[in-house]
Formats: sequence, structure tokens, C-alpha cells
Amino acid sequence: MVALATLLTAVAVALPIPAFAHAVLLSSEPATNAVVATGPLRVRLQFSSRVDAARSRVMLLAPDGAETKLAFAHDMPPGMLAGLARVDRAGGWTLQWQVLSVDGHVTRGDVRFSVRAP
Amino acid sequence: MSALFDLFGFLAVLLHGLDLVAQSVLVGSVAFALFVAAPLELPARSQTRGRRIVRFAAIATLITTGMATLVSALALRVSLDLGMREIVGATFVVAGVAKAAAAATIACLVRALTRSRTVRVVSVVACSVVLGAALTDTHAIARIDGSVALTLATIAHMLGAALWLGGLPCFWWALRDVDPAAAMALGRRFSLVAAFGVALIVAGAVVFAIFYIGSIDGVYGTAYGAMATTKGVLLAILLALGCANFLATHGIGTRMPILRTLRFVEVEMGIGVAVLMAAASITAATPSVDVVADRVTLAQIAHRVRPEAPRLTSPPPGMLSAPAAAHDGGRNAQDRAWSEYNHHWAGLLVVLMGIAALAQRTGHAPFARHWPLLFLLLALFLLVRADPEVWPLGPLGPIESLRDPEVAQHRLFVVMIVAFALFEWRVRTGRIESPALVRVFPLVTAAGATLLLTHSHAVGDVKEQLLIEMTHLPIAVLGIVAGWSRWLEVAAPRAEGRWAAWVWPSAFVLIGLLLLDYREA
Repeated sequence: MVALATLLTAVAVALPIPAFAHAVLLSSEPATNAVVATGPLRVRLQFSSRVDAARSRVMLLAPDGAETKLAFAHDMPPGMLAGLARVDRAGGWTLQWQVLSVDGHVTRGDVRFSVRAP
Repeated sequence: MSALFDLFGFLAVLLHGLDLVAQSVLVGSVAFALFVAAPLELPARSQTRGRRIVRFAAIATLITTGMATLVSALALRVSLDLGMREIVGATFVVAGVAKAAAAATIACLVRALTRSRTVRVVSVVACSVVLGAALTDTHAIARIDGSVALTLATIAHMLGAALWLGGLPCFWWALRDVDPAAAMALGRRFSLVAAFGVALIVAGAVVFAIFYIGSIDGVYGTAYGAMATTKGVLLAILLALGCANFLATHGIGTRMPILRTLRFVEVEMGIGVAVLMAAASITAATPSVDVVADRVTLAQIAHRVRPEAPRLTSPPPGMLSAPAAAHDGGRNAQDRAWSEYNHHWAGLLVVLMGIAALAQRTGHAPFARHWPLLFLLLALFLLVRADPEVWPLGPLGPIESLRDPEVAQHRLFVVMIVAFALFEWRVRTGRIESPALVRVFPLVTAAGATLLLTHSHAVGDVKEQLLIEMTHLPIAVLGIVAGWSRWLEVAAPRAEGRWAAWVWPSAFVLIGLLLLDYREA
């Protein structure tokens, strides 16, 4: 009995601890693995929960690793982060998002897409 | 950063669970004072004890809320590099401050709780603030669709838990203080309050099932559904105990079986803590309706749990991947085979222990009382197999390997298992008879199993994690059943202790069988 107690505690403590998730990305523009043209890029991320835009962040990573923080538009629908960016060169780009859901939990993820040469 | 996120996630769930327990006892004990103790005019000593519980729960809520808010704020600061001024305005911070202030108010005013009408009103308002603030840490506040229904359901669910589970500590103390003639009236009054609480819990759960789970495959195919099912099983056990107490207070004979009721209430409190920890775990999981692409199918579950011969031969240690690679998700087929072999042999030993404990229970196998010594074999097995890169299987020496925290942790567990095995052997053989000491380890078993419930989410390799989790959740439930049935065996009156003595060894056997069927692919 007592060693089973230890065993259960040991298993509980030693188990891998996955992260938790609340705001799930339901859809994005550009979509994952989309191919877009160079120039202005409209970015929209729709989540499953209301997000705290003031305490969330979306970074645009260029093929050379340069990072640009996305400025969010005002008056977005609930659960959406949207803004305008610019993609000037061909290659693989990434939108790195990290959001604070209104219920106090942080979630993060990536959306990878490509820009075709002009 | 990923490891940091995981650590923050675990701490947040643990603190949220403790916060749920504290707030439930706070609101429940205020309700007990106002709706049970005062109308029945319980003895002064009983009412004083009740107020002490209120004050203790208020201080506990203050501490757990503060810590939970701080951990979440730190997670935000580290992950988004925000300044504290930006974080302070977040909804969860404002709610945390409001909740802490409400708890502090109750702690300050509790002395006059049943004497002053103003204090009663302020306390009820403060309890409402506590529950309202707690709402901001639930899915309901963030949902885009159905948030009104979910908000009402969540408040009902939390209030119900407080009225029933949160009122149990006060009921337990009062039952010890009143004379037998008054015990029946006390039991009847509290059982009505608790029954109302149960109705609120069930009503809330129905709404959650519709909006958060949404379908049958959401129940078995997602982490949220699996945890909700586990919570439902624990709730069913609680309801059985509560029903027994309800019947004892409503017409079975003229005298209430006080000792039996006290013991059942103790077990209700213990399993109630597990249910609230499971609730915290569910709150941190993604609702089933949002998990579309990564659901596990019935066929995948059936394939994973189909009975197979246990793996009794092991791959050689030389074929395992390096520990760092394994921890970073680079496990190969040999790593999985190694892990399955470990689980299967542990399962075999646990099954033998359960059978031996059952044999001892029959009274016809006195030699079987030495079954705790089988844990020494388990300890030896862990010592050799838990860290194959360390002596005696690997090149790393036993002393230098202790610099690795995970190795040190495994070695500590081995020492603990040896110590506890010898302790329980002394209990089984009558060398230790102290009632207090005998009760410590059922508590530790139940606590360990409860902790297992907080490690039950699937993100990342979603399907694979969930399939593994589906083995751990039943083990957690059986561990809770084992711990609390052993508690009843040693503490309850003879009749209840007798049947409880058959339950926990049977739970051992079932845990062992689950471990024997454990697979990672």
C-alpha cells in the first residue's frame, strides 16, 4: 500500500508535462503552406476563444530571420487578431503567434507560408 | 522556452486546483454557518469551530489566488516580455485581486458572521465576488458562442461544489460535537443543502457536455472528454457515499450511525479534493469542440488496449537512444520497448501484491501478510532499469550520476519505496499498530493518485499523448479508490471496514493488469 503510494507519486511527478492550450487557431490568412505574392499581406488569425489583443503578439519572420512585430487593427471581431504586413522577398516566411486568452492562459504556434518570386 | 511553458502549465494547474478547493471550502463553510449551524442553533463550540474553518479557508484562498495569479503573470512576462504595468491590467490579474480582497474581507469579519445581519450580507456578497472572480479562470468567460449559458452553468457548478463538498469539513466537525439526538437533525439539514448542491452540479455538467464536448466521439477522442469522463466516474463514487449518508439521515432507524457517517464524510472530502483537482485539469484543456483534426478514433483505442502478451524480454541497453534525444522527442522503437518492458514487469509485481493481499484477507494464508516485501523487488527493478545509462547497466557511476536531477529523482524514489515497503510490512505483521501511523499511507496513496490527474493533457503529438493518457487516468481512479478504501478498512466500523478490505487489493490487481497491458505504439 505505502510503496504503491510512492510509485503513484513518482509516476505523477516523473510524467512528461505537456503544455496546456486554450485559444486554438481555427483558421488563418494566409493559410498554412499557402503561396502568396510579394507586396502587402493581409494577416488574419481566428481563434476559438476571445483573446486579449493588448497582451498578445504576432511576429512575422522573414527567410533571412528578420522579425517584424505585427500591429493589430482596431475593432476586430471576438477571437480574431488582424493586421497588415509586407513581404518583400521570395522564400519561406513564418507567422509566430502568442496569445493571451481572456481566461488567463497563454497559447502559441506558427503559421508557415511561402512567397513566390515576382 | 518550451520546457518553461510546460513548467508554468503544471504549476498553474496545481495552484488552480488548490484554489478551487480553498474557494469551495470558503463559500461552503459560510453557507453552512448561515443555513445549517445558525438555524439549528448548534452548540457554541461547534459554531466557533465552523468560524475557524471559514477563516482558514479565507486565508488559504488568499494565498492560492495570489500564487496562481503570480505564476500566470510571470508566465506572461517571460513569454511575451511584457512589463508588469502591462500585465497588471489583464483580466485574470484584476479578478485575482478582487477574489483575494473578498477572501480577506470574510477572514476579517467572520467572528460576527452569525451575530450581525450586516456581516452576513457582506459575507454573502463577498462569496459572490469570489465565485464571480473564479469565473474568469474558466472556459466560459472566453467562449465566443454560448457564453451566457456557459457562464450561468459555471457559476451553478462552482456554487454546487461549494454547498456540497465545501460544506463537508464543517459538517464533519459539527457531527463530532453534537449529541446523538441532535445528529439526525444536523444530518438531515445538511443533506438537503448538499442535495441542492448536487442538482446545481449536474445542471452545470449537462450544459458543459452540450457546449464543450458536443458529440460522443468528443468524449473518447479528446483529452477534455477523457478528463470529463474521469471526473464523472469520481462524481459517481461520491454520489454513492453521499447517498449512503443521505439514507442514514432520512428514516433508516431512529439513530444515525455517526461513526460510519463520519468515515464516509472523510472519504467524500478526500475524493472531493480529487474531483476539484480534475476540474482544474479540465479547465486547462482545450474543449473537445475545438479539437477537430486530432481526435483519437474508437479503432485506435481498441487497437491500443487490445490484450496482448506482456513484453517480458527487453532490448539491450546499447540499442537505446541517448537520454537527451529521448527527452526531446527522439525516442525510437527500442526506447518504447524498454519502457513497455518496465511497465509490464511493474504490473506483474503489482498484480502479485494484490493477489497476496486478497489471500491474506481470507485468513487462510498467513504467510501472505509479507506481501509488502514484493515492493523491494520493484525498488530493485527501478534501481537497475530506470536509468540505463547509469551503473549497473551503463558506464556512468552511481555517485557521479546523481548530478543529473532525473537520476537523483529516480534514486530518491527507490529509497522511498524501500522505506515505505518496510513500513507497510511492519504494519501488516503487527509491529506497528498506531492508528494515526496506519492512516498516513492510504492518504499518501490517494494524494499520489490525485496528482496523477493533473498530468492529463494532450498537446503536441496529440493522439499519441492521449492514448498513453487513457492508461493513466484509470490507474489514477483506481489509486484513489485503493487509498480511500484502505482508509475505511482501518477507520470505519467493522461492517464497512470488512468490505473495504476487499476493495483496495482488488484495485491493486486491476492497476497491475492495466500496467501489463500498457503499450506506447
